Amino acid sequence: MAEVRFSHVTKKFNENMILNGVSAEIKDHEFVVIVGPSGCGKTTLLRMLAGLEEITAGEIYIDNVLVNNMHPSKRQIAMVFQDYALYPHMTVEENMSFALRLMKLKSGAISARVHEAAAILQLTKLLKRMPKQLSGGQRQRVAIGRAIVRHPKVFLFDEPLSNLDAKLREEMRVEIAKLYQRLNATIIYVTHDQVEAMTLAGRIVIMNHGIIQQVGTPIEVYRKPANLFVAGFIGSPTMNFLYGRLQAEGEKLFFKNDSLTLYLPPFLLADAARNAGREAALGIRPDDVVIGPGVREDCSEKIEGILEVSELLGHRENLYIKAGENRILAAVEAFFNQSPGSKVSVGFNYRNMHVFDKKTQKRINNS
Amino acid sequence: MDILYSIYEVAWFVLIVAAGIAALEGYFYYHFKLYGKKWFMAVSAVFFPLAAVLLCRYLGLVEGGGLGRVWAWFFIAQVLINLFFKHIVKGRFSLPYMLLAPAFTGLALLLVYPFVFQIYLSFHDLKLTTIMAWKNTGRLPFAGIQQYINVFTTSPLSEITFWTLLLRTLLWTFTNVFFHVAGGFALALLLNNEIRFKGFYRTLLVIPWAMPQVVAVLAMRGEFHSQYGFINIMLGKLAAAFPALAALGFGPVQWLSDHPLATCTLINIWLGIPFMMVVILGGLQSISSSYYDAADIDGASYFQKLRYITLPLIRPVLMPAVTLGTVWTFNNINVIYLVTGQSGGTEQADILVSALYKAAFTYNRYSYSAAFAIVIFAMLFFISVFYYAPTFGRGNLGIRGSLRGKVISPSSPARG
Repeated sequence: MAEVRFSHVTKKFNENMILNGVSAEIKDHEFVVIVGPSGCGKTTLLRMLAGLEEITAGEIYIDNVLVNNMHPSKRQIAMVFQDYALYPHMTVEENMSFALRLMKLKSGAISARVHEAAAILQLTKLLKRMPKQLSGGQRQRVAIGRAIVRHPKVFLFDEPLSNLDAKLREEMRVEIAKLYQRLNATIIYVTHDQVEAMTLAGRIVIMNHGIIQQVGTPIEVYRKPANLFVAGFIGSPTMNFLYGRLQAEGEKLFFKNDSLTLYLPPFLLADAARNAGREAALGIRPDDVVIGPGVREDCSEKIEGILEVSELLGHRENLYIKAGENRILAAVEAFFNQSPGSKVSVGFNYRNMHVFDKKTQKRINNS
Repeated sequence: MDILYSIYEVAWFVLIVAAGIAALEGYFYYHFKLYGKKWFMAVSAVFFPLAAVLLCRYLGLVEGGGLGRVWAWFFIAQVLINLFFKHIVKGRFSLPYMLLAPAFTGLALLLVYPFVFQIYLSFHDLKLTTIMAWKNTGRLPFAGIQQYINVFTTSPLSEITFWTLLLRTLLWTFTNVFFHVAGGFALALLLNNEIRFKGFYRTLLVIPWAMPQVVAVLAMRGEFHSQYGFINIMLGKLAAAFPALAALGFGPVQWLSDHPLATCTLINIWLGIPFMMVVILGGLQSISSSYYDAADIDGASYFQKLRYITLPLIRPVLMPAVTLGTVWTFNNINVIYLVTGQSGGTEQADILVSALYKAAFTYNRYSYSAAFAIVIFAMLFFISVFYYAPTFGRGNLGIRGSLRGKVISPSSPARG
């Protein structure tokens, strides 16, 4: 098992900057998920670690060994591909043993490793099948099995679940979590799905435009997003943003836009004088939008809005509310018994409110 | 005035063809659309044989005495056709049959009729001495299987035997197909890399195949000329530059007269490589690059990737191409005919089909040639069925689905 270190890694395709100086450290036995929208460079980063892409500049270390110019097979990594890349003309067993056969291992050792991996992944009965005779989930397991038999230092997963349907994806997600507990290996997992990132990761690396936006545990990136991008990317349904200006009236700080004035208490954002005059974005998760006239502690004063649409999800209900120019999504307990067009009063939970500078996109409150 | 007469003749010909097509379409319309009418059987059984007999009479195909017999044949055929349409082609099958009918008729005229006539010829004795009798009486002496015995026991030409020809043809086919595949594969691998001017190279390489074969072969034949050909000039210059080579017997060669088969082989290899290259390149481009990524991580070397990934994955496109190439090369009369100087010339370069051509049209042994052609057909048929057909299926097994249908192989089962 091993550590991985990226140091100022840069990748250019011709003049296109794909990765712009990525630095990150992945500890031994850690499950790190790299997440970001498509085109953010996450897969390129993984392929550079695997040795499948040239590194334009910077260094990549595995176990403190510089691997920039090392052949993929020498890096002691194993990769699970998005489309599985199972050799279609080989049986499951041949697929899993291919790397070991190329290493010229003894056939007894090969068979032992293959059967061990097959037992872990419940593939023993399928060893003689061809890949096309398997279901999507089974192919996925074979692809993982092919990685396991090599006893690699680092496992790389490149969007492994994106070719599966929703239900199977959930099942395989749990399987991968179990597998991690069992193997206790260093795993780097690339996905565009923030749910996979939140549920699987020990730490999440969030990327956009070839730059790391934030690194942290799932709860850190959820509770304290470092910038507007992370705030909008992590969490489902998406966070509400209200755009306006901060204004100080005496010691008190207010958030104002054309149709809304909100008092911001000092525990949310201290130092009213320094922040006054900034263009700002307020971020509130739909779960922290409080509906109804009742007064609660640490909650903003109520504003009036009109219910536009309500979506029933079963245990929760999503309410799309328009308050002046501001559109607000609230997630409340089912059943919210009002029809579209009716008036609702909306408040925001100060304890989970995020304030961002609109210009720098950075978070400015610390709570 | 001459030109006007030509135009008149062409217009007349077009009119006849159009009338023929119209008659055929009318015939189809009657049978596909009106089979449910009460008068369907009666009218067609009377009208169509009568029309056919009148046509034959008008064209002078039958003399007065034979008309009754001809009418009887047409009548029986028409009744059978009527029954076929009334009881077999009906309901939901009538549309597919109707759509197939024109193509089927065309194929029947162009393929089935000559084939049947050829079988008829092969069991009779048509040659220069019997052809006038055949023309006058319409009768040919029956020969049984004598023509087939002759194929294996006598020479189709003046001295060479069937067995020598067969051996030579197999050698010719194997050599050509081997170098076609090897050369095509090597070029396809080169073209599959990221290189500059790829489209340009590809165009250049496809030219021998895209050019009319007559032009390509005659141009190449010129290059093999003993005195003025590019090849002998180069060989002569090399021998002059390196006397050591000349001392070993290296120098200009009398290609066309001393080594006609080798010359044909070299030219045909040059002609056949582009086709294999295009097919194999298509196969290579359909292989997902993630297999190579996976193989890189698994630690496969270049040749291991070639052996374990590329070759098995292009098999489904390669095998049909090799089968086609085998049949084409086995049957390739063009190159040999054009290189060795048309119908006369040497027998040293003849393969089965070129000997067949000479037997038929230089030595005028028509029935013998018909039997000969059927023997060649049977050989190719069995090669295709027993050697290649199983590999189609096997190669296909591992491929379909995982390449997501990019590879279309001939044995894919029809769906729907």
